[in-house]
Amino acid sequence: MDKKYGVYICEGCGIGESLDVKALCGVPEEEGVPVKSHPFLCGKAGVELLKKDVADGTNTLVLAACSRRVNFDIFRFDGCIVDRVNLREGVVWSHPRSDFPALTEEEKQDEDNFDRVQMMAEDYIKMGMVRVEKIKLPEPYVVENLSRKILVLGGGIAGMSAAIDAAKTGYDVTIVEKTAALGGYAAKVRKQTPVSAPYDALIPPVVAAKIAEVEALANITVKIETEVARIAGQPGEFTVTLKKPGEKIPFDVPFPLPDEMKVDDSGNELDAEKQHEAYLAYNKGKNDILKLDPDGELFGAVILAAGWRPDNLKGDGYAHLGYGALPDVITNHEFEEIAKAGKIIRPSDGKPAKSVVFVQSPGKDESDSDFAYAGAVTSMVALKQAKYVREDYDDGKAFIFYQHMRTTGLSELFYKGLQQDPGIFMTKGAVMGVAKNGNGMIVDAENTLLGEKLQVKADLVVLGAGMVPVTKDDPVINLAYRQGPGFRDVGLFNGYVDSNFICFPYETQRTGIYAAGAIRRSMSMAESMEDATGAALKAIQCLESVNRGVSVHPRSGDMTFPDFFFQRCTQCKRCTEECPFGALDDDEKGTPKPSPTRCRRCGTCMGACPERIIGFADYSIDSVGSMVKAVGVPSEDDYSEPPFRILGLVCENDAYPALDMAGLNRLSYSADVRLIPIRCLGSMNVIWIKDALSQGMDGVFLLGCKHGDDYQCHFVKGSELAEIRMKKIGEALASLALETERVAQFEVAIDDYDKVPQIINDFVESIEALGPNPFKGF
Amino acid sequence: MADSYLVDPDVGFINEVSRLGGADVKKCYQCATCSVACPISPDTKPFPRKEMIAASWGLKDRLIGSGDVWLCHNCGNCSTLCPRGAQPGDVLAAVRAAAVIDYATPKALARMVSDPKKLPILLAIPAAIFLVVGLLLKMVGVDWLNFNPTGDDLWQADYIHNYLVDIIMIPTFFGAVAVFALGLKRFLAAIHSDAVKEGKTDKEKIDPAGFFQALIRTVPTILKHEKFNECTENRDRSTAHMMVLFGFIGLFIVTNAFFAAEWVFHIEGPYRQINPVKWLGNLGGILLIIGGFLLLKARLAKKDQASSYWDWYLIGLVLALGITGMLTQMLRLGGMYDLSALVYFVHLLFIWGLFAYTPFSKLAHIVYRTTAMTYNEYSGRK
Repeated sequence: MDKKYGVYICEGCGIGESLDVKALCGVPEEEGVPVKSHPFLCGKAGVELLKKDVADGTNTLVLAACSRRVNFDIFRFDGCIVDRVNLREGVVWSHPRSDFPALTEEEKQDEDNFDRVQMMAEDYIKMGMVRVEKIKLPEPYVVENLSRKILVLGGGIAGMSAAIDAAKTGYDVTIVEKTAALGGYAAKVRKQTPVSAPYDALIPPVVAAKIAEVEALANITVKIETEVARIAGQPGEFTVTLKKPGEKIPFDVPFPLPDEMKVDDSGNELDAEKQHEAYLAYNKGKNDILKLDPDGELFGAVILAAGWRPDNLKGDGYAHLGYGALPDVITNHEFEEIAKAGKIIRPSDGKPAKSVVFVQSPGKDESDSDFAYAGAVTSMVALKQAKYVREDYDDGKAFIFYQHMRTTGLSELFYKGLQQDPGIFMTKGAVMGVAKNGNGMIVDAENTLLGEKLQVKADLVVLGAGMVPVTKDDPVINLAYRQGPGFRDVGLFNGYVDSNFICFPYETQRTGIYAAGAIRRSMSMAESMEDATGAALKAIQCLESVNRGVSVHPRSGDMTFPDFFFQRCTQCKRCTEECPFGALDDDEKGTPKPSPTRCRRCGTCMGACPERIIGFADYSIDSVGSMVKAVGVPSEDDYSEPPFRILGLVCENDAYPALDMAGLNRLSYSADVRLIPIRCLGSMNVIWIKDALSQGMDGVFLLGCKHGDDYQCHFVKGSELAEIRMKKIGEALASLALETERVAQFEVAIDDYDKVPQIINDFVESIEALGPNPFKGF
Repeated sequence: MADSYLVDPDVGFINEVSRLGGADVKKCYQCATCSVACPISPDTKPFPRKEMIAASWGLKDRLIGSGDVWLCHNCGNCSTLCPRGAQPGDVLAAVRAAAVIDYATPKALARMVSDPKKLPILLAIPAAIFLVVGLLLKMVGVDWLNFNPTGDDLWQADYIHNYLVDIIMIPTFFGAVAVFALGLKRFLAAIHSDAVKEGKTDKEKIDPAGFFQALIRTVPTILKHEKFNECTENRDRSTAHMMVLFGFIGLFIVTNAFFAAEWVFHIEGPYRQINPVKWLGNLGGILLIIGGFLLLKARLAKKDQASSYWDWYLIGLVLALGITGMLTQMLRLGGMYDLSALVYFVHLLFIWGLFAYTPFSKLAHIVYRTTAMTYNEYSGRK
């Protein structure tokens, strides 16, 4: 497109009072770019002015006004490139004249005086102008064979609920169920926890109604005794190969070579070729991931609701509870089987079990942890099963010894309801042991709420074993992705499928695959059903984004995607390996094969690429690099005491909003910093830092999200990867005789707005202590 | 403490506590807000948290044998602040009712007192006694029951002779004392053993002299309603309760004075209105009526507090005693002698009920709470 530029400077919200707008207009004028100022650009007259210019042919606009995080709808002009220069939050609000006085008329006479805030505004306008010069309007990526069908893995309560929700919205759904019948665990219980108001008592299982609903919906296909051999391709056009459980077929997904097979006998790492050979041998008989099954079925999105299995209690940790040794010590799952079959009886002799003790925590008085994989559901199941005892026997007694009684949200009403039963007795306490006592057993507990050591006679002891997500044992989804068939970080979550469970509950680390139900975390049936709705909506969102060539999440609606200049690719595989979402596969030679609809547009590949051949239409090495170069770096040639100049590369997900909020709260920070928002610290390419330092800037800092096991990064790995790259740049700096302290990375959460000015000021002070960059002025 | 306590919950006891007004006991989730809120609970082993779980676990022995439930004055601070609506105040009141029933002999009578359906029988018993004894004596020529006396300025003794009243009331009174004695013996042994076991006292045995001294120290506390006055929630009751208590004390003194006048000095009634003893009697009656009404009003106003028949029984008795007593006098002064005598007969039924049923009713707290407070004072618990 032929760009026709226009710069517009708003004078409202304090900008006009604080800055010399006329002087600001001089910046574009100097470049021959038309510039207009307006007292109230987002007002009716201001927007009319913009619309008129757009109608007259202006298509590349630099709006120097407020943060791009506000008024984005007002300042949207389709078909135009728009850059928002943040003069309001980023300059005048965060640098009030009370702290940063303007020059007096007298001071202005002396050319050695400068106004830091005015300088800042001018730099930002320059940076905006150069950015719009460098970027292009994005064009959508469209998949060739778009499928609007949704695949649901798992025919339990969550899977069926998701299928029903999606089908009712008009989408074709296929449920794949490994066993011979729909229903999952929900079909194996006598009664279940409530799913609707008043939530205070057991209800008959709802699963039969769900099965009937699934069967009645014409656009749901059910495939029982079926599992996934592989899911290849990308969202919108997943090619799925199904098979009978246990079958071995050529389209079974290949597994990556385990680490121990990547080394030779003496422990040295094999070269790439040998590794590839070993990989092929390891996956003998299986087709490569890039080979698409011609008979595969196309799906647009996948809902993973494969659920959980009861935990097997093995090991010495449970010996004191008699599990394995005493026949009447059983798990909650085994108890449910007895309850489903009839009255509560003892497995040893089939006699009625009228005094039943439920043990929720196995740790004696040494640990208050519950059984592994236990949670709120385990607590509710103990309550439910206690009620079975009371239902079966008028003189039945049920005791629950817990360290945690977790009844979250509305399930508190369930607790309250069951607590009212005079024959259900609960106490916090440490169960010390279960011993045989004549025909029955005796349970010892300490530190109870009754104030001492207790003993209770029991006919049956029930252990509150947890719910293990099936992804702990098996990848289940079997993705034909180079990074592997499963989710990369399930180990961090004890096998649960999750990516960023605080902010984006349904998103897995694989775009287009949405997890629901107990595979995500232990969930009651009510929760699973609600969760299924969320996952169904996400699957629909995926389909309705891919079809328009826009990103699904978290940059929803982003039309850009990474573009590779393959001629210069050195097959280093860094992009393939570092992509947090497995969006890049590589062929035999190691050339990356992008799957754009798998991509979340974080730019981690762009940050990773040492050849700098990856970029987006509106975000590239060049666009940011040019902004860095547009920053004015005054030297002693300009002023006798030139100001320091420090670059901040700021994650636009958490840190940038925090800075806006700091401005909103009139919290000020150094006016010598120049901030550039970036998509994710993962997209930070070290060339930008090198550019900044080589042009004389005195320091560079990165503001990003918390990383590590409890990361808060929108893109999972970005800030972590940035830190690794920063360590490497440290070595390069040292070789240039620059202090490594000139470059730093800080973790900022979105609610740290009150701390971020201090972080910046401390860094600026530390740079001032180091003195100016010796390369300044060269 | 080292030994394990074998728990065998008594579901029947939980149901009994529910019936007696503690139906919310199972709602407790042991947050201990109640024990913190309680203005009169001691710092060591405070109530009512531990009583709440004991009650919801049906641990009857622990509660019946606990002195702590009697230290509670049912302020209601705990119930007001309880986040679960478990009404610890009501539960403790119900536990006390259960304890009264448990310590009473015979227990069957206690169950009748706590059952509204049995009230007619309970009132029929004294009516029958008076009529049967009176008529039997008549048959042997002792004319203490006269249905149709003649003459001017009649009074109730002309219909029902004071000797008839006394020969029935005095054994009843001592019978009640005996029932109390039986109960108290068990009660004191139980609360002492509980205190020793729970480490609430360092005294190994109850020394009678020391215990008596503790009683002397405790009585002023009770008379001054010091514990009541520490309450914030239910403090209004303090005055009403004090009126009733002092009303009863006054009337007890009057009764004894006139008993002495009758039996020792042979001075026949009715006594003149200017007689100071008579003043005291009238004052006592008025206090009883006003105090009774205030208690009634307070209970009716407190919608969040459970009021069982156990509670209404006592308020009803107080009011019935006061009203029938005053009415008897007023009707006599008004010259309506027959009616006065009839009301007097009803009054006698209530008096007999007061004596006979006290060990089986809520009024037994006068003995058990006093004992528990004395024991607490004696034990030196902080």
